[in-house]
Amino acid sequence: MFADTGTSAWLWPALVGGGLAALALLALVLLTPVYKHILCAKYLFGGWKAVVPMVSCLPAALGVFLLILVFAIMDGFAEETRKMTRGTLSDIIVDAHMEGLPYYDELCRRVEAIEGVEAATPIIETYAVARIKPRFGFVKPLVRPCRIIGIRPAEKVRMGRFREYLKRQRPEAYPSADLLRVPERISEASGEPPRPGGIPGIGLIGAPMAAAEPETVEAGVGRRVAAAAGAVVMLIVTLFVWRAARRRPGHVGWIVGAVACGAACLALAATAVLTPVHETEVERDQVIDVPLLGYGDTLVVSTIPIRASGAIATEPGGLPKVQSRALAVVDYFKSGFWEADSSNVYVDFDVAQQMAGMTGGEGEEGAELARTNQVHVRITDPARGKDLCQAVEKVWFDLVREKGLATAPRLTVSTWEEHQHMILSVVDMQRNIVALMLSAMFLGFGVLIALISYVMAYIKSRDVGILKALGARDAGVGSLFLGYGFIIGLIGVALGMTGSLLMLHYLDAIEIWVNETLDVDVFPRTMYYFDNIPRNISPAWCVAVGLAVLALSTLASAVGGLLAALKQPVEALRYE
Amino acid sequence: MTEPILEGRSLVKDYHMGAARLRVLHGVDLAVGRGEFLCVLGPSGSGKSTLLHLLGLLDKPTAGRVRFEGTDAFGQPKRWRDRMRNQAIGFVFQFYHLMPDLSVLGNTLLPAMIQAPAVLWPMRRAGERKRAMEVLERLGLSDRVDHLPRELSGGERQRAALARALVHRPRVLFADEPTGNLDSATGAEIMRVIEDLNRRDGLTVVMVTHDQRVADRADRVVRLRDGRLLHTS
Repeated sequence: MFADTGTSAWLWPALVGGGLAALALLALVLLTPVYKHILCAKYLFGGWKAVVPMVSCLPAALGVFLLILVFAIMDGFAEETRKMTRGTLSDIIVDAHMEGLPYYDELCRRVEAIEGVEAATPIIETYAVARIKPRFGFVKPLVRPCRIIGIRPAEKVRMGRFREYLKRQRPEAYPSADLLRVPERISEASGEPPRPGGIPGIGLIGAPMAAAEPETVEAGVGRRVAAAAGAVVMLIVTLFVWRAARRRPGHVGWIVGAVACGAACLALAATAVLTPVHETEVERDQVIDVPLLGYGDTLVVSTIPIRASGAIATEPGGLPKVQSRALAVVDYFKSGFWEADSSNVYVDFDVAQQMAGMTGGEGEEGAELARTNQVHVRITDPARGKDLCQAVEKVWFDLVREKGLATAPRLTVSTWEEHQHMILSVVDMQRNIVALMLSAMFLGFGVLIALISYVMAYIKSRDVGILKALGARDAGVGSLFLGYGFIIGLIGVALGMTGSLLMLHYLDAIEIWVNETLDVDVFPRTMYYFDNIPRNISPAWCVAVGLAVLALSTLASAVGGLLAALKQPVEALRYE
Repeated sequence: MTEPILEGRSLVKDYHMGAARLRVLHGVDLAVGRGEFLCVLGPSGSGKSTLLHLLGLLDKPTAGRVRFEGTDAFGQPKRWRDRMRNQAIGFVFQFYHLMPDLSVLGNTLLPAMIQAPAVLWPMRRAGERKRAMEVLERLGLSDRVDHLPRELSGGERQRAALARALVHRPRVLFADEPTGNLDSATGAEIMRVIEDLNRRDGLTVVMVTHDQRVADRADRVVRLRDGRLLHTS
């Protein structure tokens, strides 16, 4: 559930800084005169007046709760998107675009010789049109745009999580090199000429259908959490009422009220503890991609080859030369990354190269070299991605020089994150905008604390005068109100953080409980491409939010602190 | 008069109300001997509370000097005056000025709590509590220690305020109309306590009042009118 520490490089400095700040604060608290702590506690928790600070800490709690919860979920979305996007690619992508690059095998060998590079493989990527004739007679044939991805399967599986996404679940021992091989029985059974194998994405050959899928969940957790929250609230109410009852001996109503509140608190606590949590199966609406093509069915893909010069290959009459191939579906894949799942068709490298017109030989402009669009590179340490991009680029320039290529194709060497930055940056931007908007809530909280501390210092101006008359220092009396704001912030942070972390921990169970109780669908699977609500808690973010709220509440309460510090004791004590 | 513990020389105090200046004290000279019971008598608005605040180091004079035990109080840093108010001076006010959130015992412990860092308080608390209980017992409040000020009568409140003023064994007690808000019987009781402290313990007392009967119990009475000292009796 917690974020990979790699995503929060400043976590340890933040924790160490936070720890040192906490120690400094503790030292300050211990060395400061004791009257401040006692009076601060009295102002905060003494009788009904305590309702004011308790209420004022709620905006902070709500802000912290929302900021951590929403950020964790949006970060979860970003992280899942990142994983899915990463899964179909490799660490470094050498992109020669549609023109392609020659000497790719030699380039791969030289790149593999770079320290820190694990493997490299050429990839063909070209645009095509897929014609799908569903095996169900009642569904009309479909024509969809697609991308032909030519791979060497044994090398491709080393690049990322490609094999994990294949849905036919071939045994572990199944040789990677044969992932695209068409079994003989399939070829024979179809009675068609031999067809190369193809692995289309489920989004391309499937029809999304809503279906109720059974899912095992923990039942009772939502009720437990709600009862525990209620018990905490009732405990606070009970303490207030009990205190009031003690101050009003003989008032039976208060005693009855305190006992009733205590009983309610106990009942809720008992519910929280005793509600059984057990695994149960619920039906949940999911999106099921029903494949319209089965194992061995034919998928026809058509593309127009592009020459090394960038010109479209044409027939003798000048019309574009369309290359069509019938592929036998040997598997399908689902990475969770919609762009890949809805358009990619994986075929053997040689087949794709032929379809894209990159096999070399005699072209319109003389002899052409065999080409590929991309080279994918797997590296041992993803943190070195940028450095290795430069090393790969240098290898390419050296190769171009050695081979004496007059016009070297324009290459883009990038890490997978740079390659997919449009998608990733949109998700990150959405997360950051939401975080920024939620942070604006804290401005309201800051103003509230400033007003409360001002009013508090105004109301308590006689106390301020008394304290100064008894020898308390101006700064000391002022800091009493700073401590007041700090503790309000601390309570808010503690409440908000506990609530958000609990909520995130039990998010699935709470979601089901809310769905069942209110008859709603909080996170419809028919809309999103995830099995569960994603979440990714960043400890660094939690620490940053907590410290920011504490700093804000303390600074905001400086308004009251300043008023108290500047108050002349004789002014405060002059009149009753 | 014995050696002065407190001296005010040419004390002037102005208050500013917008552009207007209001002079409340016009060059007052006053010395208080150690162990003396001095009463400042005057009508409302004569400047007697202002004089008390200046002598008690609560407020700064516009001009003039205050010497406390021979030291020029306003020539010292503010921290010094704060320490004097905490350790050497006790105040009793007409309106008691007890902390409403603290019990009688809490109010009595307040000077000690202002002095003690939190880290040392657990070690000092028992000793301070013992001393506070002795003072409260002497003032007849031992059965009211856990009560809040609002649960006390006027006389009890003033005795609690007196306990707070005496707990740190001050060298001077400043009392600003201590009986002004009490009925005559309770006022007389408070005066008996103050007199007793002066006579038995040798506590220096500076009291301001507009009540001649109260003033009659002092060793010396100075009269103040329109911010000027009239005469001493």
